[in-house]
Amino acid sequence: MRWLCVCLAPVALLAACDGGLQPEPICASTLVGVCGTLRFRGPIPDSTDNVFIAAYATFPQTCTDLINNRRPVIPGSVPYTDSLAAYSVPLDPGTYEWLVAVWKKVGALTLSPADTALLRVAGYYRNPADTTQPGAITVPAGAAAGGVDFTADFDNLRPATDFVSCS
Amino acid sequence: MFLNLGTRVGGWGLGALFLLQATHLNAQGVVRGNVRDRQGDAIAGASVVVRGTTLSTRTDRAGRFRLPTVPAGSVRIQVGAIGYARVDTTVSLTGGDSTTVELTLSFAPLALPPVDIISNKVPHFGDRPATSVAQVTEQDLDRRAVATVDEAIEHTPGIQFVNGQINIRGSTGYVQGLNSRVLMTVDGVPMNQGDRGGINWDLLAVDDIQSVEILKGAGSSLYGSAAFGGVVNLTTRDIPTGSHTQARLTGGLYGEPPHTVWQFRDEQALHGSADVSASHGNDVLGGRISGGFRHSDGYREQDERDHGHVAGKGWWQPAVNMRVDVSGSWAVDRYDVPLSWCNRGECDDRGQVYQPYMIDTAEAGARTDSRKGYLAAQVRRTVSPKFAWVARGSWLRTHFTDVRRSASEFSVGDRFGAEVRVESHPDSSRTAVVGAEGTMSDVTSDIFGVHSQSEFAAYGQSDQRVGPLGVSGGARLDFMAVDGGSLTAFISPRIGVTIPTDRRARDGGVLRASVGRGFRAPTMAERFVRTVALGFQIVPNPTLRPEQAWSFELGHISPPLFGFMRIDAAAFWTDARDLIEPQVLLIPPDTVVIQLQNVVRARLAGIDASIIAAPIPQRLIATLGYTYLSTSRRLSGDSTSGPLAFRPRHLLTLGADYTLGALGVGADFRYASRPESVELEGFVDSRRVAMNVLDLRGSWRRGPVEIRFLAANVLNYVYNLVPETLAPVRTATLTAVWSH
Repeated sequence: MRWLCVCLAPVALLAACDGGLQPEPICASTLVGVCGTLRFRGPIPDSTDNVFIAAYATFPQTCTDLINNRRPVIPGSVPYTDSLAAYSVPLDPGTYEWLVAVWKKVGALTLSPADTALLRVAGYYRNPADTTQPGAITVPAGAAAGGVDFTADFDNLRPATDFVSCS
Repeated sequence: MFLNLGTRVGGWGLGALFLLQATHLNAQGVVRGNVRDRQGDAIAGASVVVRGTTLSTRTDRAGRFRLPTVPAGSVRIQVGAIGYARVDTTVSLTGGDSTTVELTLSFAPLALPPVDIISNKVPHFGDRPATSVAQVTEQDLDRRAVATVDEAIEHTPGIQFVNGQINIRGSTGYVQGLNSRVLMTVDGVPMNQGDRGGINWDLLAVDDIQSVEILKGAGSSLYGSAAFGGVVNLTTRDIPTGSHTQARLTGGLYGEPPHTVWQFRDEQALHGSADVSASHGNDVLGGRISGGFRHSDGYREQDERDHGHVAGKGWWQPAVNMRVDVSGSWAVDRYDVPLSWCNRGECDDRGQVYQPYMIDTAEAGARTDSRKGYLAAQVRRTVSPKFAWVARGSWLRTHFTDVRRSASEFSVGDRFGAEVRVESHPDSSRTAVVGAEGTMSDVTSDIFGVHSQSEFAAYGQSDQRVGPLGVSGGARLDFMAVDGGSLTAFISPRIGVTIPTDRRARDGGVLRASVGRGFRAPTMAERFVRTVALGFQIVPNPTLRPEQAWSFELGHISPPLFGFMRIDAAAFWTDARDLIEPQVLLIPPDTVVIQLQNVVRARLAGIDASIIAAPIPQRLIATLGYTYLSTSRRLSGDSTSGPLAFRPRHLLTLGADYTLGALGVGADFRYASRPESVELEGFVDSRRVAMNVLDLRGSWRRGPVEIRFLAANVLNYVYNLVPETLAPVRTATLTAVWSH
């Protein structure tokens, strides 16, 4: 038992020295997904509840696609009170055709197409070669696609129906 | 004669007992005595029993005891105390006379706990229970210098607290505030909330508690519904003879975050408390009153807490063979609620994915106002040395108001309970307990509605020695009705066997085996909750059925090994059905809701082992506890399975205490592996790590003053046990206790 005590005490100390939870920068080396900065333009609407970023492997065609095919399932928020915010979105490796900043007004979401009434497209990542078109992003296996910077425009919040059909 | 009457309780038999009682008293006498150690110091809390009878008592702080109705003749008395070798002695007693015995106990750190109450509701002296029982003694409570009861219990092998919810061998998991699969009793009186079925660990101050017993495994055969996964019994402090006062002051500070990017405030966070108690007792009656206040700035953002409480206890012995006990408490809390930590964008995240010390600013101002209290009364009459009855009544009230930015919610829950129990010792090898219990709970709430639930039960258990074997068996039949509706019945049998593996030694090894059925009725909160969580509507499910489980255990406690250690190990298996868990439902065409449903079939199996060692007698005591837990969860109609949520596979506790005269130092270490699964995975932050917590402590005692120091989580290990909720960080506490 003396032997046991002597051996287990350092084990306990070593185990505790792994530090537990650690700070995690938004564009962390451990991230698998996409990260960059989101620049804000225009005054923040009074009814703003949240701004978040979602990705789509293929460009959504309908309101149902818009709600059901987003990644991640629960998108993370982005601070919108400063003119610039760092962001990251954990995603599975692969190509994503649309990376969109979504403005949400106050109200409870139901994870149904009806949610589009509360949501507006504030901006999306654009193709550097043709900035009128969405840009595709490829998330490599086990790493992050960095430097994916784009703008959210509070002066030009567009309804989902500008992009998809909602019957 | 009493043997026969005692075993045939019913009809005119009970009346005849009372008529015969006066005659019988003439053949009785009083046994007084003192219990001391080899140095002549009094041993408080030692158990004293007259073997084979219902007669038992405990020594007061001066080591004195008094047994007033002992049958005349040659009387076999047994005395035992935690950490001391048991003593048997025989005294000669003349009817109507009294005798005084002086008893000396030898220090024996490996001696088994002398009394077990929790496994069959009556004190069992010397016999090992057939199911695993853990004890937290008064010395453990003092030594750990803890502020709340749950802090003292969480060092017990096989026990883990998950954000305030107790898990015994993985029983409960974690469902925020909606249930508990463990029953808490205070002096044998059930104290789970009437509305939510949970446990208020701050119902009593730690100074009001003398010891804690924990029954591991299904206890429904005696305790009913909530004892599905085990029972925790708090024994309140005895009232010693004479006048006594105690004052306790604590003060301390919280550690800073270990990374500057997590700093969230400029000033030092503090905590402190003040408690006082006073008691007076004599041979006929006694009373104790206590009160206190606690404040904490909290270790994270929006985490301030204020707590105040008063508690009282009294006893009265109107006749030599009757005792009346009354107790109660009232506690008021107001605490901030840091609902979840800040994820990126929810606060000034400083470029971090999450800020564990900060909160989502949308939840700023969230707090809870809580009031709770209980009243309990018990009458115990020792009709004869072979036969006694107990009657009790209780009322528990809880009232909380959750204040949130979006809405405020409240609930008032009452739980009224009554129980009548008959205890019989037909001969020195047999004990029988028969009882009936009734509980009526009601709730008035804007999230649970207005409802009531009634439960009626009858139970019986017999413990018998058959040669070297100890055999116990019993069953309980419960009937339940919600809102006066139809009755649901449930039967919970249990049987257990103990076999001594070393019959020559008194404290030798014992093999034990037990099997029992447990159940848990859905709480009114689970049936009727209607609120919003994680952005989803939670809808009620009034058709919930009780959860049920069969539990098996096979264990062995070794005799002392190499003269300085003892091992207790058990293998356990629980097969549970109809477990209630939250389910995400899609209601066509486009509504998503959460509802609690009976959908899970689960297995919890593992090994629970502990070692106690005293390598340097009277100086060093070391303990090691390890639990391996394997769980499997399967949804109805789904062949896939995975682990149950919030159950770590490995739990390890290490402890050591060294005493040198007035000084004592000690350390505790707790490890829990990272839970493989959490509830509602995919909808909550899955970030979680293993738990590695090291506590250091010291004490110094001189005369009536004792100073204790506790550095909890001294390595400032940052971890969480449930999603987005930071567990306590480094905390230093200095405690001064003055006793008179």
